[in-house]
Parts: sequence; structure tokens; C-alpha cells
Amino acid sequence: MPLLDIRNLSIDINTSQGKLRIVDKASLAINEGSIHAFIGESGSGKSLIAKVILGIHEDNWIVTADRMYLGTTDLTLLSKSERRKIMGNEISMIFQHPKSYLDPTKKIYYQVKEALTNTSIIERLMHTKKYNKKSATRQRIKELFHRVGIQNDVTIMSSYPHELSEGICQKIMIAMAIGNNPRILIADEPTTAMDAETQAQIFRLLYKLNQLHKMTILLMSNNFASIRDISDHITLIYSGQTVESGTYKQITKNPLHPYTQAMIKTIVAFDEGVEHKSLLYTLPGNLPSSSEIPIGCRLGPRCPIAQKKCVEDPEQVNYKGHLIRCHFIKLEQSKYANTPKYK
Amino acid sequence: MLNYIMRRLGLFISTAFILTLIAYALHYWLNQSHSQPIINGYITYMIQILKGNWGISIIDHQPILAKGLKSLASTLELSIFAFIGALTLAIPLGIIAGIYRNGQIDYLIMSTAIIALALPVFWVAIMMPTVSNIFHLTLPIDGQISPIYEVKNVTGFMLIDSLFTTGTYHFEAFYSRVRHLILPSIVLSLFIFAETIRLTRHSISMVMKSNYINAAYSKGLSTVQILRSHVFKNIYPSIIHDLRSNLSTLFSFAMTVDIVFKSKGSGQWLLTSIHEGDYIVLPTAILIIGGFILLSSILIDILLMLTSPTKRITLYVD
Amino acid sequence: MSINDEFDKKQIRTPLHYIFQIFKKKVAAIIAVWIICTFLFIIIFADFIVSHSPSEQNMNALLLPPYWLKGGNTAYLLGTDELGRDNFSRLIMGIQRTLAGALIITAVVSFFGLILGALASSLKNFKASILHHLLDSLLTIPILLTALIFIVIFGSSFQNCLYAIAISLLPQFIRSIFLSIETEMAKPYIVALKIDSMSDLQLVKNVIYPNILEPLVTIINRVFTMAIIEITTLGFLGFGVQTKGTELGAIIANNFEFMYLSPILVLAPGITLFIIIFSFNVVAEGIRHAIIEAEQ
Repeated sequence: MPLLDIRNLSIDINTSQGKLRIVDKASLAINEGSIHAFIGESGSGKSLIAKVILGIHEDNWIVTADRMYLGTTDLTLLSKSERRKIMGNEISMIFQHPKSYLDPTKKIYYQVKEALTNTSIIERLMHTKKYNKKSATRQRIKELFHRVGIQNDVTIMSSYPHELSEGICQKIMIAMAIGNNPRILIADEPTTAMDAETQAQIFRLLYKLNQLHKMTILLMSNNFASIRDISDHITLIYSGQTVESGTYKQITKNPLHPYTQAMIKTIVAFDEGVEHKSLLYTLPGNLPSSSEIPIGCRLGPRCPIAQKKCVEDPEQVNYKGHLIRCHFIKLEQSKYANTPKYK
Repeated sequence: MLNYIMRRLGLFISTAFILTLIAYALHYWLNQSHSQPIINGYITYMIQILKGNWGISIIDHQPILAKGLKSLASTLELSIFAFIGALTLAIPLGIIAGIYRNGQIDYLIMSTAIIALALPVFWVAIMMPTVSNIFHLTLPIDGQISPIYEVKNVTGFMLIDSLFTTGTYHFEAFYSRVRHLILPSIVLSLFIFAETIRLTRHSISMVMKSNYINAAYSKGLSTVQILRSHVFKNIYPSIIHDLRSNLSTLFSFAMTVDIVFKSKGSGQWLLTSIHEGDYIVLPTAILIIGGFILLSSILIDILLMLTSPTKRITLYVD
Repeated sequence: MSINDEFDKKQIRTPLHYIFQIFKKKVAAIIAVWIICTFLFIIIFADFIVSHSPSEQNMNALLLPPYWLKGGNTAYLLGTDELGRDNFSRLIMGIQRTLAGALIITAVVSFFGLILGALASSLKNFKASILHHLLDSLLTIPILLTALIFIVIFGSSFQNCLYAIAISLLPQFIRSIFLSIETEMAKPYIVALKIDSMSDLQLVKNVIYPNILEPLVTIINRVFTMAIIEITTLGFLGFGVQTKGTELGAIIANNFEFMYLSPILVLAPGITLFIIIFSFNVVAEGIRHAIIEAEQ
């Protein structure tokens, strides 16, 4: 049973020109202890889904979902304040542009301390003899900082956010996020606008957290190549529709949706001898603007194999946990040729 | 930091210099007999100013500087009273309006603010006695302090001076002064009240939209906790900064109010002097009032820079 | 069936049109617009509305109450003052003078302020620092004091009051405009345009002003409010009184003594003044909100 299970989540936004369906029946199932990559171009609705999971969406969004479970709790039934209680302890999130998520007027120490609402009981018992709350918190923050690879903890703790780099800020955000041992960590494009080395550091850090502490991570990115190899499961979203979802092997070795196939084709593998200055593969066209979303399958106008039927919304089909949302899955090419299909 | 303070002081000196130029220009224009060339005249004028010889009033042959400062003190007492009253009420209301932006409460509070801003100050001032009559309040409607008390001028601030008379009158004189301040400060506080609500609401709604507030929510904090630990520190610099830039407008209103309430403030001092043809008060008023506002603005700037980390970010840029 | 049926793309128009569309939905602002239109009508046709000459005295009808009270007379809708002059006619003429004066000041100050603000933002180095120090020092002098100084210099008349107020409001306007331009100038898209060799003045005219509509509305509204308050304050203090015409502040000062005999004398002009300022503020707020919503 997946830890986070979302079925047919739709988000409509009320604008003055009428209702606009931004996310259309997106499904997401995250298994405990895995890194789940959630890949889509910018503007495809990844962040919106993350905000809805956390319950920090705007009031003019209409959210409908068939199922939205975290473990055994139904998130749709919770009120905003109950949702907020869950957030700190069970779901944590890190964002893009981490600096803007740190209060510019407070020192890092107080901000991290705030995230660590409840000191664990064992820790308190260990310090019963000479329990000094302040030094205990400091110690805990120090440990956290070392876990995320911040060495000079004393200086950082007494700094203001504007004195630090984006990379350090992201590490602090991760430290705050894992401080309460959440069941799931949502990372929303955590490395946007960072240099390659910092990006690699952050991804390595997330990978280590998953390997050593069995942290479940939902990793959102627009870069298929950079996060593909650290993830166990991959879901692709296009313009608010989840198009394909499956394990790392299923997606990379046997992509069935034309969008996934295109995404894999766009990854340049330099060791395979790409001709110098040759044209790189891209899908023709652009992501449709939110006011001109095509009906039916939203990939339709850009899809290399589109047919008349594509103006209808395709049903999602399931082959052994490999979910595809397309009318024309070329089964004869795949190893599922003889497997029955489930709905 | 020291660098910043030095630059602010530099700004103070250069702006004060321009103020003296304006004052001198006016002084030059008012004195029809020009015995000296302009530059020499300015130097003599400045020497006299620095020595403290600001001229003698033709009405009662008192030194103008002393009269001007005393009236400024009276206006200041009024403004400070009005500020305290208005801020204690307006900041909580502004915060509520900012949090429940576009809700019913917000509309109610904002309408109150717009109404308070649209009331002409002098008209409210002349209506005030009638209003206090309706509520059966027996508050004094004009003057600075009841004439039966003789208060010696020590600091210039009547409120403080009246405390020195406790030997003779106990606290009677002080109470009398406070009672005289109530009605005018209510009138004056309307403007500050409206302005503060507007500013607070604006900065609150700006801050509430920001990412770190969202992040604070996702840490599981409640709205009250967020207000206390994240919002206040982020909004007060901009509120104070904007109030600071309204100081001279506020002073205009304070002068109007003390003219109507005849409370011996700067406004009344100027008006009577002009009506009597004692125009020499005008350059003096520019120096005293302009100088006071300039000095307080720069002090506020420095204080803000010392207390607010967000303001200090700008120091790195330069 | 499409899921986005409800979304009508054709409704998207130019930004101004869009702002207007949102503005039209604001009931309070629309009511205020109609009130302002009424006042404008009064300004233009004041001479035809008044039933009596504002200086015509009727010794047989002193301090009459308004017509709906006992002892009132329908010939004098709002009663008469201590010299038997018709309050209603004086009020109408007062509105004409005060409001027209304030509107002219607002127009003049905005016109010169926009030009000077744009020039100020394109100044560099030494000239800019001189200008800023000059503005800084002018801004420390309260408007009322500046106005009093100019009245002393020009001499006391209604026209000179208008000059004095316009001049004293100008520095504030230039400074606010300049600050708005400066914040907009710092944005990255402006830098991109600058790299495309657009001159500063071109930028301000074609790009910045359309993008700072919202602060602009606030600033202009502030100038109007201050102008009308200062005109009436100066009138109330006895500057700019002329025999032939009248002005709301002067009416209030004149009737002040008789307030207890006939409250309408002070109430009517005061409330009128309040309604004028209030409705302009409501409209300005409405436009501001419409712009903000349109930007979202």
C-alpha cells in the first residue's frame, strides 16, 4: 500500500474569464522508503499539486480528488488547521529559491528551532539530569546541520538569510524539513538556479537521506536527466495530466507514452557519439498556455502519433503497476503484448 | 554602519544648509533695505542665527526663537498624544484588515479609514465641542492649560513643566493640561489613524503573501504564532518609514488643529504673527519646524537601520 | 465535451479595458463616480442652479432654518445665514469654487509633476544630488507653512491661494513619482530594454508610466485630497476671501459663530466637503483595486 496515494486530482482556478482546469485527473502513488521522481516541464502543474498536498493553496482553487490518502488518513476530510498539524510532523517540503522561504529578519538559529517543535522524549530523558533546553536545541540543530553537510554550524546559526548562499539556504531548508523525521519529504525543484556542483551536492544529500534514513522523497523536477538515476519510481506530467508512471526500469527501458519516449530521446548521451553540431531532438511546439489548453489528451497537437481519437480523454491503463494514459499504446513492440490490461 | 551614520549626518548638514538658504532668501525678501551684498548678508545672517539672535518680535518684543520653540513644544505634545492614541488603535485594526484581506471585516475597517481620511481636519475641530457636548463630556475646548494655574517655563513642554508645580497645585495643573490635550489630539489622531491602518494593512498583506510565511505555515505554526514571530519584525520598518515621510503633512494638520483650539502651538503663533504683520517669523518657522522635521527623520532612519536586519541588507549593496 | 467550456478566451482584452471591466463591478466606486459627476455638473451649471445671488441679503429672513424644519421656507432650501443670504446658493457657489480650484491644482501639479519627475529620474550624478537635496529640504517644510509663505509673498487672494498650494504640493508629488519610477527602473525587464538602447525619457514615457498606474492613482488622489483640504483650510483661516465669490472653508469660518443658533450653517458645507473628498477617495481606491486585480 502506497504511503501517499492520490487518484484523479483535479484543480480548477476561478478567474474573471471563467473557470480554468489547470490540473486534470492527476494520479500519484508513492511507496514508503522510495524516491519518487515527478517530472514535467515548468508550468505543467507540479508545484500546484505539491501545494494542494500541503494544503497551502489559494482560496480560489477548487480541488477535487477521488482519493487523497497519507498512510491511512484521508487528507480531503481534514480542515485547514488539522492539515497544518500534519504538515510539520508528517509531510515536509523544500522549495525552489530557498532564500525567499527564510524570514529575512530572523537569525537562522531561531528559524530552525521553530521547525523543531517537539523535542523527542528519549532525548529529553537522556538529558534529565542536567536538562538545558537551549543547549539541547543547539546540539540538535548542530547534528541536523552535520547531517545535511553544513560544517561551520556556529557561524551559520547566527547569520541572517541574506548573508548566506542559495545552496546553504537549501541545505538549511532540508535540515528543517528532516528535523521532525517526517514520513515524506516533498522537494519542489530544489536546485533551480544553482550551479552544477551545488545541484549535485543537493541530490547526493537527498539520495543519502533516502538510503541511510529510509526517507520517502517526492522529487519534482523539470530535468529528466538529472534526477532519473537516483529515483526508484518516475511519474511524468504534461500540462496537468499525468501521462505515464512506473518504476525506474519500466520507464527508462520500456517507455510507452509518446511523451515519455520524446523525453528520453531528448537526453543527450555523449558517449554514444553524437555528431558535432547535429540537431538535437525536441517535440515540435510548446507547452500550451493555460488559456489555450487542447481538449482530450493535452499532448494531442504535439504528439507524433496523434489521431482523430485523441480529442477524447484517454483512460489510464495499468500493466503491472505501469500506468499509461494514451489511446495508442503500441503493445506489439513491448513485452506486455500478452499481458491482460487492467483499468 | 558607522559609514551609514556619517552619510546620514552629511545629508543632514547639506539639507540643513539648503534650509538656511531658503530661510535667508525669505529674510532677504522681507527686509527691504539691503545694505550688504547677498553673500556677505548670508554670512552675517548665519552668524546671528548661530549666536542665537533670531530677532525680536514686533508684537510683544520677545525673542522670536524662544517663542517659536515654545510653540513647537506645544504642537509636539499634541502630536505625540495623538500618535499614541492613534497607533494603539490603528495597528491592531490594520493587522486584522491585512489578514482578512477582502473580507467583511477588512471592508469595514478600510471604510472607517477612508472616512477618517476624508474628514476635513479644521471642520472636525470646530465640530468637536458640539460632539463632546452630546456625550456630556465636560472637556475644555480651547487654550493650552487652565489660566488659573501659573506654570513656570522650564523645559518648554507644558506637560512636563506642570509636573514641577506639584508643590503648589499637587497634580491639578498636570490634569488640566492633559484634559486640554484630549479633544485636539482626537481630531489630529484621525489622520494618523487612517494613514496607519492603510500602511499596516498594505505591509501585512505584502508579507502574508511572501514565501517565508507559507513556509512557516508548512512548519505547522498557527496564525498567531506566525504574526508574533515573523510578521511584526518584517512590517514595522516599512510602516515607520512611511509614517516618517508623512511627518510634514502631519505637522500641517497639527498646526491647523492648534489654530482652531487656540492651544498656543506653532500654527497659532504663525497665524497671529502674520495677521499682525510680523513676517520675520516666517524664516524662523522654516528653520525651527523644517529643522525639527529633518532632524527627526534622520534619527528615525538611523534607528531603523540599527534595529532592522532587512534595512541593513541595503548597506551591503553600496 | 471540453473541460474548459466555461473559460472564454474572447473576454481577454487590453489591460485598460480589463481594468475597466473589473472597476465596473465595484458598486461603491460606481456610486462614487455618479456623485462626482453630480458635483461636476454643479461646477459647470452652478449659475443656473442657484435660486438667489450668493451675496443677495434679505433682512426679513435672517437665520432661517432649512425648509423641512419648522419655520423654514421653500424659497430658501437650506435656510439663510445671519445676513439673510441663501445658504443653498452659497453652498453651490462654494462647491464650484473649492472643487474647481482643487481640480485645477491637481491637473496642474500632475502635469508638471509627471514631466519633472521623469526629468528628475533621468538626471545623473551631481545634478541629481542637488535636486534631491533641494527636494529633501522643501519636503521638511509643512505644506501649510509653505502656503502661508507664498501668500505673504503674493498677497492674499483666492487665486494666489491656488498658486501657493500648487507650488507647495509640487515637491511632494515629484518625490513620490520619482520614487515609483525608481523602483520600477530597478526591475530586470527595464534593464533589458535599456540594453536595447532605449533612452531614459523614452522608457519613462512608454514603459514606466503605464506600469506604475497604481501608485500614480494613489499619488494623484493624495494631491487632490491635500489640495481641497488646504484650499478650505486657508479659506477658513481668512486668506483668499473675496467679496464677490465664496469658498467652502470661508463659509464655515463665516458661519462658525452662529453654529449654535442654526447648526445647518456649518454642517452643510462641512458634510459637502466630506462627501467630495470621500467619493474621490472611494473612486481612487476602486481604480487601485481594479488595477491590482487586473495584474493578478
